[in-house]
Amino acid sequence: MFESEKKMRGLDPSPLSQQDAGIDVHPDLRHAFLQAQTRRHFLRTLGSGLGTVFMGTLAAKYAISDTAATPPSAHAELDFTRDPSTPLSVLPPQFAAKARRVIYLHMAGAPSQLELFEHKPELTRLDGQDCPASFLAGKRFAFINGVPKLLASQYPFHQAGQSGQWISDRLPHLEKHVDDVCVIRSMRTDQFNHAPAQLLVHTGNARLGYPSFGSWVLYGLGTENQNLPGFIVLLSGGKTPDGGKQLWGSGFLPSVYQGVQCRSHGEPVLYLENPRSVSRPMRRNMLDAIDAIDQQTYADFGNPETVTRIAQYELSFRMQMEATDAMDIRKEPVSVRARYGSKLDKASFANNCLVARRLAERGVRFIQLYHWGWDSHGAAATEALNVGFADRCRETDQPIAALLDDLKQRGLLEDTLIVWGGEFGRTSMRENRGGQEMKWVGRDHNPGAFTMWLAGAGIRAGYSHGHTDDMGYEIVQDPVDIRDLHATMLYLLGFDHHKLNYRFQGLEQKLTSVKPARVVGEILA
Amino acid sequence: MTSWVQRLSERSRLGLLTLVPIFFLLLLLIVFPPDGNERAAWAQFIGRFHPLLIHLPIGLILLVPVLEVVGRHPRFPYLRQSADFVLGLATFSAIAAAAFGWCLARNGGYSGPLVTQHMWGGLFLSLLCWTCWMLSNRADDRQPSSLYLIALTITIALMIWTGYRGGQLVRGEDHFTKVMPGGMRRFLRVKLASEGMAATSDNTFYGARIQPIFQGHCITCHGRDKHKSNLRVDSYDSLVRGGKHGPVIKAANFHGSELFRRITLSPSDDDFMPKGKRPLSAYEVKLIELWIAAGASNTLAVDAIKNVPSRETPNAEVTFETVDTAAVAKERSNLASVVAQLQRQYPNLLEYESRASANLVVNASLLGDRFRDADVAALAPIADRIVRADFSRTAITDQSAHTISSMKHLRVLRLTDTRITDATVNALSGCEQLDSLSVFGTGVTHGSLLTLTHLPKLRHAYVGGTAIRADATIPDTLKNKILF
Repeated sequence: MFESEKKMRGLDPSPLSQQDAGIDVHPDLRHAFLQAQTRRHFLRTLGSGLGTVFMGTLAAKYAISDTAATPPSAHAELDFTRDPSTPLSVLPPQFAAKARRVIYLHMAGAPSQLELFEHKPELTRLDGQDCPASFLAGKRFAFINGVPKLLASQYPFHQAGQSGQWISDRLPHLEKHVDDVCVIRSMRTDQFNHAPAQLLVHTGNARLGYPSFGSWVLYGLGTENQNLPGFIVLLSGGKTPDGGKQLWGSGFLPSVYQGVQCRSHGEPVLYLENPRSVSRPMRRNMLDAIDAIDQQTYADFGNPETVTRIAQYELSFRMQMEATDAMDIRKEPVSVRARYGSKLDKASFANNCLVARRLAERGVRFIQLYHWGWDSHGAAATEALNVGFADRCRETDQPIAALLDDLKQRGLLEDTLIVWGGEFGRTSMRENRGGQEMKWVGRDHNPGAFTMWLAGAGIRAGYSHGHTDDMGYEIVQDPVDIRDLHATMLYLLGFDHHKLNYRFQGLEQKLTSVKPARVVGEILA
Repeated sequence: MTSWVQRLSERSRLGLLTLVPIFFLLLLLIVFPPDGNERAAWAQFIGRFHPLLIHLPIGLILLVPVLEVVGRHPRFPYLRQSADFVLGLATFSAIAAAAFGWCLARNGGYSGPLVTQHMWGGLFLSLLCWTCWMLSNRADDRQPSSLYLIALTITIALMIWTGYRGGQLVRGEDHFTKVMPGGMRRFLRVKLASEGMAATSDNTFYGARIQPIFQGHCITCHGRDKHKSNLRVDSYDSLVRGGKHGPVIKAANFHGSELFRRITLSPSDDDFMPKGKRPLSAYEVKLIELWIAAGASNTLAVDAIKNVPSRETPNAEVTFETVDTAAVAKERSNLASVVAQLQRQYPNLLEYESRASANLVVNASLLGDRFRDADVAALAPIADRIVRADFSRTAITDQSAHTISSMKHLRVLRLTDTRITDATVNALSGCEQLDSLSVFGTGVTHGSLLTLTHLPKLRHAYVGGTAIRADATIPDTLKNKILF
């Protein structure tokens, strides 16, 4: 409507309309229109015209504040603007960073801390008794009804390593690295369902539409290897986590910073290969043509998403060579694959851990692994603490230990931050779905306390932070909120969490949002 | 009685009347001195205006000599007559300021010699001001009396001294001398507070571990200058003596010790100490607990208590470095052009360590075989600024040893899976900052170990996949540093 009106007035200066001028079939109409314009018309449109000019200057300043042409806003102390053609170029951190990359091992479904790290003899003593009323007052559960029974840990615990950390018999391989990890026993969240809790863990917000941690890091630091995505996501366990692909989405950041989901079995990225009978030079020609059009579009509208599109085409072209190589675990010696427990014939967490190491060596900034299947309610064998849970432990324990081994051996653990954890914890009570005892043993969701561990860059190895009560149900000392963890991780990556921000909807948006977050200095080396 | 009062001029009567509040203040100061307890908030509130009000008499008193001197000039004779009025005003404002000051000191929890001296100074200042005012009455006398001049000089001197003591109260004992140029300080033989503080012995547990905690958290309120609740913790004797509620420490009984109870309360508790300040860290509380449990002695040797936590929880409160853009730009200026040129030549190879630093980080590992000895040589002009270099999986050889060894500030060096040998490692002996070295998968042998033992800051050496074997003879100093 607006376009056609401009053309009718003959005001459109764009080259396209000048080309069209030769085939303008309405000269009479335009003439008649101009004749009909009176002084009153002129005066009437003058006001709105000036208003439009004013809005235009404002829009250029604020609406598209992420283009390189505009100066950073007065509040943002750190400048993250880049040449639009290289949105992933490396920027130095705010201050000297301990961690140069992150490998985040997310155990989707929330593993039970009481079967892995939280040794609670008192809970064992009270096994099978009704839980105290104080455990239930004011609490919301996903499935627990009435008064559930306390449930002892299903596996024996022992102390391991020089640091004497308690660990269950489910993690015999990680046990050898117990002096390399820092266990936080006092994590808490405010979400008790998987999807929002996972969103909170990965985007700092339980609602959709916020950038993931990896996106923030990529936005803040860029990535060294321009032939691979800087933020790679690998899934295993048979299902996408409940939070969906938003978990590695870029939210309001330009979508060039979103995570790229790759596969560790078969083609790493679907449709990355050229179709049969399309050669690499032919693909190059095609991309050049598309680029030219996109460049024109960007020049016309200045939308950063156009830049993202150009960058993604170019990245996938470069990736054709390098991604295939990076993801190809067949290039690892058999002995190495055996240490990870990796099998070539199917996708697995073990394969993903091996790929994670290869990606870490190749300068990928943020490597996100999800392993699904930890939601041990006990409603079926696959999600029972005594069956499915044990399988999950077996699937993950050896590869994680092998990954730590490899990184440590090469010195990479010094500058790689490893994070392990779920989205919340599990109750000290046995789940009684429908108020009845279930066939399998399981626990419900507990947002009030859970365990995570970190290892590597700048982390105080062999340390245990925070305490829960004798039942492992509530935190009694040093609670760590998700935003505190985020602030700590950003600190290790060289940022003050207040300063890594992006202007959106009139706010300097940041990962840790508006509530005060604390860098957990106690867990830093 | 009435007769001599009536005989006095109106001005003299006013002068006599003014003595009343001055003596009232004197009475207040003697009967109700500041004793370190906090009282009525409204009186404190009034007292807070003392620092504001105090500038009025200061300005007025300093105006008097100006009026006297300039008034000698034939053009401004009237100025000398104003001196009398100004002095009167100065006297009133000095009394008011002193009264406000008493409100602050008495009710704001002050005590100690500093505040006492300041208060007496203020009181005498009002009295001296009054004296000057009285002496300045000389309508017919053209020449100021010498008595008046002496009084005025003393007044100004006392004002300077009192003001300085007040400044010390607010800004700290050494607010002035701390920033004094060193030469001037030596000339005036001024000692800094920190220089005189080394009295406590570092060989005792109290001196080395406990006193620094009090020093850091408590002495602003319980030190030489302020003794809230009559408690001072700046020396062992005063600490043991306790405060107005009696002893705060019971030897060998930390649960019964008032001090321990208060530092372990919830920060929102009324009794919590340090009130309104950062709580003591868990480590500090633990130290105090252990010290009290061991008898709270000041002679106990520093290593006498065995189960002391090995170290402070490091950086429990993290502070963020701010970036001084101008300073960084200046620091970078003499190498910026070389860096920019290298960044164009080798995209994504070289970056500053951080936005706050002119140090450089090199990562050539992504270039693989394309990165050769000649490329390492290209880094020579900036070698001194490189703190971290990763040449893993590149085609470099021992020919680069010389350039790498010129990177004197290297903290991290990665040579994983390259063709380098002992020659490169042995060239690193000058890299005294080297903290972490990876020669994983290289041709390095035992011949490198001696060099490694001489690297003073080395913490990690990754030698997996080399000819160095775990079972072979590894120098003792390297045993905890080498990873296979």
